[in-house]
Amino acid sequence: LLTFLSSPVIVVHCSAWAIPDDMAKASVDGVKSTATAGFLAMKRGGSALDAVELSVRALEDNPTFDADHGAVLNTNGEVELDSIIMDGRTLAAGAVSSVKTISNPVSLARAVMEKTDHIMLTDRGANMFAESVGIPAVPTNTLVTECERTEREKAKNYAVEVKEGHDTVGAVAVDCSGNVACATSTGGIRNKMVGSGGYADNLSWAVSCTCHGESILKVTLARLFHVEQGKRAPEAVEVSLRYMGDRVRGGGAILVSRTGEWAAKFTTERMAWAAVEREVLWYGLNPKEEFKETLRQ
Amino acid sequence: MRSMMYTSGHRLVVMSYSAGFCSCPALTQQWFQAGFLVVTTSSPKNVLNIRHWVNQDTSISILIFKLCGHPMSPCVTQTSLNLFRIRSLNRFTCLTISLSRASLADMLPVLVVHGGAGFIPKERVQMSCAGVQAAVRGGYSKLQGQGSAMDAVVEAVTLLENDHHYNAGLGSVLNAKGEVEMDAIVMDGRYLASGAVSAVRKVANPVQLARLVMDKTSHLCLTGEGASQFARSMGVPEVPEESLITEYARMRWKKNLAADANPVECQMGKMGTVGAVAVDAEGNIACATSTGGMLNKMEGRVGDTACIGCGGYADNRVGAVSPTGEGEAIMKVTLARLILFHMEQGRSVEAAADEALAYMKDRVGGLGGVVVVDPQGEWSVRFSSLQMAWAAAQQQTLHYGLYTGEHFTQNIDDPY
Repeated sequence: LLTFLSSPVIVVHCSAWAIPDDMAKASVDGVKSTATAGFLAMKRGGSALDAVELSVRALEDNPTFDADHGAVLNTNGEVELDSIIMDGRTLAAGAVSSVKTISNPVSLARAVMEKTDHIMLTDRGANMFAESVGIPAVPTNTLVTECERTEREKAKNYAVEVKEGHDTVGAVAVDCSGNVACATSTGGIRNKMVGSGGYADNLSWAVSCTCHGESILKVTLARLFHVEQGKRAPEAVEVSLRYMGDRVRGGGAILVSRTGEWAAKFTTERMAWAAVEREVLWYGLNPKEEFKETLRQ
Repeated sequence: MRSMMYTSGHRLVVMSYSAGFCSCPALTQQWFQAGFLVVTTSSPKNVLNIRHWVNQDTSISILIFKLCGHPMSPCVTQTSLNLFRIRSLNRFTCLTISLSRASLADMLPVLVVHGGAGFIPKERVQMSCAGVQAAVRGGYSKLQGQGSAMDAVVEAVTLLENDHHYNAGLGSVLNAKGEVEMDAIVMDGRYLASGAVSAVRKVANPVQLARLVMDKTSHLCLTGEGASQFARSMGVPEVPEESLITEYARMRWKKNLAADANPVECQMGKMGTVGAVAVDAEGNIACATSTGGMLNKMEGRVGDTACIGCGGYADNRVGAVSPTGEGEAIMKVTLARLILFHMEQGRSVEAAADEALAYMKDRVGGLGGVVVVDPQGEWSVRFSSLQMAWAAAQQQTLHYGLYTGEHFTQNIDDPY
């Protein structure tokens, strides 16, 4: 299946939820710069897989987003991270769940994909594997912001979790060879199962989803797009999100096809997203927004 | 009007088209409980084509009411298997379509159970078959006692976890370090509720812990140490790891450690993942799957079983699937969800499973097996491996088999 595209395409998001105004600018700036970096990497000959890993690493390192350096604490006061990466060419995938003290779980997920016969490692086993491939552990306090510690102190008084865990980050890309890839990473509620938080298949799309993880899992959101193969990208996302809204609740998703079509849609209040195609940078935050600017290199 | 005896999940797709006829948006993809589909048209016109999409032994009677509510003799012609043309008379405003499925009441409840797809060595064949039959009887008796589909699948899988001949609970294969880490999932087709545990240690029945995750938390999956903490908080007793390890499992583990071990040969003969799908008398659908995972896997490896859409999926509107086989391959194609997609497109329970298994073999080179059920109580057992021990119970009949093409039946009340 060989397609040659005139331009690679990348779309990134940092979670679909009611992003507060004081975080809005940082969120939008973050996704814009990340999308730009991922696009340039592909222009220089990098693969879609490299681009999505690089983008999600950048988003993980950005403390505005929950995914890693702004991660939500669990009830034990620890940081637990999930991540998935998938290669649309071979359907190879790597995922980690509940890893602690790792700076960039998406890279660990890629190592699972490329260095083991497995797809997913969890908990202690995932951390042991990280050690075995030389990925360093970092102390928890570098992964937790002051803001999160305060929030957690407040929430401690409640028996049930009050914080839903926001700020999943993700990226999808198609490179000049027509290969698609996706990657998603979060410190929030788990949704990193294959087919839910992300899925990539050269025959259809690469998708990365966000919002309430449990709802995404119930409808295996990323995999829904398989059915929508005949549709244009924006319609496919809308139909799938509407289905999810009907059966559970709202969410957000980005997708890209091997022919370079892309979409970023959400049925939550906001989702910060950015896309680059043919030297044009698109981005938005509120529903229906689609701003564009020429790419600054 | 014929009597209605069908349950939720009965699907009618109605399309109406003819010049000037406004199609009712409410009609497309209607799912209904009581059995009536009432359509109000906005513009009375002459011809209404209605296509239905249900099983062959469903009959449709279509009545047309005039504005004042009196029935008129319908002018209905069946133009093909699924297409009815109604030449209405002037000014009809209400069209009632009723479906009756005389035999549906007999098709439910139903339970299908598997004990793993793979290669079962001769000396273990008999116990493997006996175990699934005992499990299906145990689960089916729950259904007959007005239990739910979820109760039935959890009961069946619990019995298989307790049976040391299977790779689940007691008898689980060992990871690279010689320890037991188990995955399990349950899913309830009513609200798409689900619960799963991955890489959990020292519990006798992971499927029951998965059900607790579904019932008692707002999450869908707990893993490793977190899952153990949750088990403790639920009063689920911790069992010594030794109590889950059999001589057979240890022997296979040791064999696989040898430097010259043939990995293919070592995976053979492992007893498989276990699972079940069911539809109860109310028409609710559920699935459950449980496994010790892959022989000599890396510590912390999670396979398809704990992943919703891969190791299991249940939806009252479409059906349920519980797979077994090469876990990584199943994940790459999200096998359970894929089969249900095909069923949503109109494939039968057999064709959907065959197509998905062939795709998995073709695209990612993996073999496996599935048990599938749909809301009407149709079920299938398909596998691309050499064998899969399975059993099903429906209408007082016990069905079972091991090799491809085998399908034995006997009265369920007859002794083993």
